[in-house]
Amino acid sequence: MAISDMGIAQIREGLASKQFTACEVAQASLDRIAQADSQVHAFLEVTSEAAMAAAQRVDQTIADGTFDALGPLAGVPVAFKDNMNMTGTHTTCSSRMLENYVSPYTATCVQRIIDAGGVPLGKLNMDEFAFGSTTESSAFGPTRNPWDLGRVPGGSSGGSAAAVAAGMACVTLGSDTGGSIRQPASFCGIVGVKPTYGTVSRYGVVAFGSSLDQVGPFARSVEDAAAAMDALCGHDPLDCTSQDVKAGFRAACQQDVAGMRVGVVRSFMDAKGLSSEVSERVSEAAAKLEAAGATIVEVDLPHIDAAISAYYVLGPCEAFSNLARFDSVRYGYCEEGHKDLGSQYEASRAHGFGEEAKRRIMLGSYLLSAGVYEQYYYPAQQVRTLITQDYRNAYEQCDVIMAPTAPATAFKFGEIADPATMYLSDVFTISINIAGNGGMSVPCGLGAQSGMPVGVQLIAPQFKDENMFRAAMALEAAYGKAPVAPNFADGKVVE
Amino acid sequence: MRKLEEVLQDWEAVIGLEIHAELTTLNTKMFCGCKLEFGADPNTHTCPVCLGLPGALPVPNKAAIESIVLAGLATNCDIEKHSMFYRKNYMYPDMAKNFQTTQGPVAFCMRGHLDLDVDGPAAKERGDIAGLKPGEACENVTVTDSGYTAHVGITRIHMEEDAGKMIHIGGDEGRIAGATHSLVDYNRAGTPLIELVTEPDLRTPEEARLFMQKLRQIYLAIGISDCSMEEGSMRCDGNVSLRRRGSTKLGVKTELKNMNSFKNLHDGLAYEICRQAEVLEEGGQIYQETRHWDPTMKHTIVMRVKETADDYRLFPEPDLAPYDLSDEFIEGVRAKLPELPDQKAARFADEFGLSAYDARHLVDHRATADFFEACMEVAGKDAAKLAKPVANLAINDVTAWLNASEDADLAQSPLTPARAVELVKLLAEDAISSKQAKQVFSAIMDEDKDPLAIVEERGMKQVSDTGAIEAVVDAIIAANPDEVARYKEGNTKVIGFFVGQCMKEMRGQGNPKIINQLLAKKLAE
Repeated sequence: MAISDMGIAQIREGLASKQFTACEVAQASLDRIAQADSQVHAFLEVTSEAAMAAAQRVDQTIADGTFDALGPLAGVPVAFKDNMNMTGTHTTCSSRMLENYVSPYTATCVQRIIDAGGVPLGKLNMDEFAFGSTTESSAFGPTRNPWDLGRVPGGSSGGSAAAVAAGMACVTLGSDTGGSIRQPASFCGIVGVKPTYGTVSRYGVVAFGSSLDQVGPFARSVEDAAAAMDALCGHDPLDCTSQDVKAGFRAACQQDVAGMRVGVVRSFMDAKGLSSEVSERVSEAAAKLEAAGATIVEVDLPHIDAAISAYYVLGPCEAFSNLARFDSVRYGYCEEGHKDLGSQYEASRAHGFGEEAKRRIMLGSYLLSAGVYEQYYYPAQQVRTLITQDYRNAYEQCDVIMAPTAPATAFKFGEIADPATMYLSDVFTISINIAGNGGMSVPCGLGAQSGMPVGVQLIAPQFKDENMFRAAMALEAAYGKAPVAPNFADGKVVE
Repeated sequence: MRKLEEVLQDWEAVIGLEIHAELTTLNTKMFCGCKLEFGADPNTHTCPVCLGLPGALPVPNKAAIESIVLAGLATNCDIEKHSMFYRKNYMYPDMAKNFQTTQGPVAFCMRGHLDLDVDGPAAKERGDIAGLKPGEACENVTVTDSGYTAHVGITRIHMEEDAGKMIHIGGDEGRIAGATHSLVDYNRAGTPLIELVTEPDLRTPEEARLFMQKLRQIYLAIGISDCSMEEGSMRCDGNVSLRRRGSTKLGVKTELKNMNSFKNLHDGLAYEICRQAEVLEEGGQIYQETRHWDPTMKHTIVMRVKETADDYRLFPEPDLAPYDLSDEFIEGVRAKLPELPDQKAARFADEFGLSAYDARHLVDHRATADFFEACMEVAGKDAAKLAKPVANLAINDVTAWLNASEDADLAQSPLTPARAVELVKLLAEDAISSKQAKQVFSAIMDEDKDPLAIVEERGMKQVSDTGAIEAVVDAIIAANPDEVARYKEGNTKVIGFFVGQCMKEMRGQGNPKIINQLLAKKLAE
């Protein structure tokens, strides 16, 4: 098996049996990036030195004869979305605004992955400041879907999904504000986890919507994602919204779904715009869970239709305020030579931010202004309360909810040009961020028409993310682990 | 421009204050672990959080929440159990995140008040109480024997973070006008700050000054801030408008800044009231604007005209969970409340028989109050007898000494309570005159010696021997027959001449009380 196809267990086994060293794994990964990324464009920066240093630490531990002291991700090639700070790397958020910004500190999630033995390969492409669903809004060019280079990988964490799908990394981190982990995982045929809000520290992750953002892993197997979650979770004194979540994700993977109640939301399955190929695969997945011993129950989320509207109020309001700090004064893109501060702000922000970023900033600025705020922000918060309550009620009848991740499989570049239509592609994921629940996308075969991967979404009650991992394991048992995209499997790169 | 006293006869000034206090006694900043320290090298106490770097998040300082609750309890506020932080969005380089974390409509402390005792000449500035007798009330004021008591409402005290400090280079006196470039020091960024907003209940500059002074005493007593107006850890902005006496309609207000001492607060407001009166009396119009008090030029100048209300796009801070203070927490803070200045003054009056006036002024400074108490302890069984002269010493000489220098520290000074009691005893026993007492006080401070030693050394002892004084009095009367004649004609003021001559003869050591008595007796013969 090529190193690029290996999961955490195979890498660990190879290290234990001295089949290869961590340095060899790291070098193979770096070579692979050099070879494949010209096609995919998932990486914005490759951190060869940090990777080799981390690998050497793992090899030293093995040489010292203390293999058991290795962390759960020892020697595992990992990479991070470019909105995550890592000392000494550029953290651009795929924006001209931060093109030359070098992090002076490291995000907690990055640190925890490295502390667990992860070998950091670099930073991954994304939609600018995580605004988007295709990675096309990156100021540094789009990432391509490894399954079909003519299609988008999804977004905003498109680079994180594509890197795993093309076998350039074993585990990557993304962030999810309205579907930005789950939708690209679905488009690229891999596992992507958005944990319950508060499970993973946000410290050091450049904020988009502070009350909606959550960090989570991508991997080609449920257990690999669980291993990353075990390393990531838990209270961080630097993020007071983070909770003391215990590392029980791998343990949850050992439990079956016998007797588990799986909720299906009728309005999701009947949604206008849900493609038949996705609908078919998701229904099939429900049947597989039933076959594994789960019970399918129908649940209702009566206020779900208002989710997108509420999201496009709350998200832009928080984004407007979070992005205010990019003012060209101390760091970031700056147009000098203006006669006053206001002109410098205006010119630098006009040219430093891309279209979608400016659209959301202006939207947020408008929505928060006097007289408008009362008409939009309050109702949006009320919707948030209602949707949270909807989920709470639904979980009285089930242990996990099952839904499509995205209405369709990965689309072609430029296929959707209208922002409002694009916003609707998050219809199945957004309400989970609004309510703060955990959600994950797991592959469930290929679409009959497009031949592209389809993802099914498992949605857990707050702080019961182990429920979705149990269901995910049952699906993985039925479908097999997610493969590297065919054109990139077995260490090859088909141009 | 007319004088304040005159203006206030025709116009009523409506004044509200916004008072910021940095919680300087805490160890760390509001939302990060950076050290709070005044005067450190620029940008040495900073981190990703207070620099507003991308990805950084706030973590609230629990001790700061305790401090603001303490402030609220000490100013008779209701403590709101449910409140939260908000983001106030505006762009300026001293605010690293380009939003300030502050509170929204509900602050930790709401609906408080302080009562101010106004006496002396300033008590006459309130035209609306003229003719009222002690005990009678009008609006928020009750007339007292020595002046009046004003009940001043506190709207709220909220918690927020301070901004960094801008330093403008190349212009006049560090001002932005004419500067070639600006520097920012973020050491102050994120300093926990509490802002108290009063109701528009103040009517004279003196009331404003007293409010600020009283609040400062309270904050010092509860130990939440060093309250240095000079270093800016306690700052005050004033809103002031005028209306004709008898009118209830509010006029257009101006906001006054840079009143960084009690005197500047008083003088700035006094000037602004007189300026507004002049403009209005000449048929002009007051514009809603921010004005800067210039203590050197003794006038206010326009900083910024407010045409429309600023839109700060306030919304709940999503990075900080709403607060849910428990009764247990609030009661725990209440248990930490020390004796407050008003309570201390009442106790001094009650325990030592001081007048309300003396008691109040003793607690003007924590140092003088503590000093007074230490002296009373030393005085032991003489405490009741010595209370009044010790209070006088504390209120007059000691306060003047404290006010003379910024870093005067009474506790470390040569004036120990034992020496003070000794000095006061010499005075009470007529061993020295009050004029000599002042000299002894200065000598203690300058030479660090005991009062008795100073008195001996300088041969200062007051002569109270009636026989000796009588001899001098007789001699002076005999030597000045013309003055004696004028006295007998009814010009009793001439007695001052005789006292002076006797004192001169006795090299200032004669007991003036006895000299006066003997002169009056002998001249009447």
